[in-house]
Amino acid sequence: MAIDPSAVDLAVELAGLRLANPLLSASGTFGYGLEFGALTRLEHFGGLVTKGLSLEPLVGNPPPRIAETRGGMLNSIGLQNIGIEAFVRDVLPGLADYPAQVIVNLFGYSRDEYARLAERVDGLPGIAAIELNVSCPNVKRGGIQFGHDPDQLSALVAAVRPTTSKPIIVKLSPNVTSPVELGLAAKDAGADILSAINTVVGMAIDSRTRRPLLATVKGGLSGPAIKPIALRIVFDVARGVGLPVMAIGGVESVDDVLEFVLAGASAVQVGTALFRRPDTVEQLVEGLRQRLAGDGVRSVRELVGGVELGGSPP
Amino acid sequence: MLCYCPAAMESLSAVERGALVVSVEHHPLPLFTLRLRVEAPYPSVHPGQFAMVQAPTTLEPYLRRAFSVFTLQRAGESVGEGLELEIHGKVIGPGTAALAAAVPGRTLRLLAPLGRGFDLSGGGRAVLVAGGVGSAALSMLAEELVARRVEFDFVYGGRGQSDLAHGDRFGELARASGGEYFPVTEDGSHGERGLVTAPLSRLLHQGRCQRIFTCGPDPMMKAVCSLAEEHGAAVQAALETPMGCGYGACLGCVVPRRDGGLALCCRVGPVFDGREVAW
Repeated sequence: MAIDPSAVDLAVELAGLRLANPLLSASGTFGYGLEFGALTRLEHFGGLVTKGLSLEPLVGNPPPRIAETRGGMLNSIGLQNIGIEAFVRDVLPGLADYPAQVIVNLFGYSRDEYARLAERVDGLPGIAAIELNVSCPNVKRGGIQFGHDPDQLSALVAAVRPTTSKPIIVKLSPNVTSPVELGLAAKDAGADILSAINTVVGMAIDSRTRRPLLATVKGGLSGPAIKPIALRIVFDVARGVGLPVMAIGGVESVDDVLEFVLAGASAVQVGTALFRRPDTVEQLVEGLRQRLAGDGVRSVRELVGGVELGGSPP
Repeated sequence: MLCYCPAAMESLSAVERGALVVSVEHHPLPLFTLRLRVEAPYPSVHPGQFAMVQAPTTLEPYLRRAFSVFTLQRAGESVGEGLELEIHGKVIGPGTAALAAAVPGRTLRLLAPLGRGFDLSGGGRAVLVAGGVGSAALSMLAEELVARRVEFDFVYGGRGQSDLAHGDRFGELARASGGEYFPVTEDGSHGERGLVTAPLSRLLHQGRCQRIFTCGPDPMMKAVCSLAEEHGAAVQAALETPMGCGYGACLGCVVPRRDGGLALCCRVGPVFDGREVAW
């Protein structure tokens, strides 16, 4: 039953986006990709999603910006970034040396800003796809308003669609009643891929000082604590929308990767686990290859959406 | 304004390794010293640099904890036997509690060395001002200053005697450099009663201090930096902020600067020019 690990095919394809393996770094958890080359082998990444980029550089929120909670962390970074021009000028050329597909995560305060960002990178061959950040909980305006209202999301995707020939990924918020409804709105307006989920809005208080642990009071929860929420949403969205899905949410083990794939994800982004261990992606790629070889699975694609729902639970 | 530019960032020398727990010493608790062995070759560690240490837990804490590298020595006669690295910490939550209870013989994950350490390029007589467990950041510095034949005094403050776990070591190093050792406790249980600023102020008035290196609680470092400024002495402060990753990925550990900007503690710091920090 077991097969040779080198015979396992890890390649996946989502709406024309081809990845050598289904593992990517999630936006906001691995900078712009190049800074940490000494800590992990980027050539093992299927892809990397950049920190959210805006038209102008952003300084981000005041500290404290992070607070650890059981099984995860809250963050309120506030989209600190170097701006799209600095990324294109200073970072992108260096990324061309790696086979990993580069996906830029884009953030704007208006439909027009998203469209301008998408247009700016459309002609750049080093960028494989764009991910629209419409679900960051840590900024006062922009972004999230598009991710919580189907009409607004539809109008946003429709505004971006004509500006780019690259696959458009829409990153869904978990902080809504029906992520499927938002996913359908994105699909109808021309989105190609959905990624799910962004962080879950949360809060922590220091009982001694009686003060919130974050300067912004509330922030986005990530890490293993949110995995079951992410799995449920990936399952619903994969079945209910009909677009390829990239899963995000507390992934740190090969089992986590497989659970998301079985729930319907074609690719999996790794986030907070990279803070705990910077070489997590390459560890997971190798671990996934060994696991599939041991199980006699020739291609990871065979497992996408393969959760068994018939009969009673074991 | 923006401090984070990947193109301008110094390259990382840190390596991700397993580290064998050699021993855990309680001083008594809550203070502890954890001795870890890493395989050779290992990058050189500059005084003031730090390590991210994974507690032997799975979910709480999930993230690693940042510690100054307290000492670094060869594990045996030859370089090939690896290095032993000590961290000195204080139990304040589940992460530090798990590390203080680490079992010798087990392996922990370790990412080090990280951050920019102390700038030793300036000249002049030095004073090292440590507050409690913050003394850990000044340990390798004191050794390096002795090696460089720089005379320094060591001011070591805490609430009581039990906070000054490494007084003997710092006293010896200060005297080896030709300087003096000044223990200070708020309750008067050891050394001078009061705050570190009292002996520091005297040394500044006596002209025995051209530059200060400090690590401790923020209010202490703020007071030290303002004394330094009054007297025109250079001051470098090793800061401690909550860190998610320690290597520049999470952008969580920003420090407000006087120019209104924010600096990443883990990459621009943890050692800052004390005059640049908006305390």
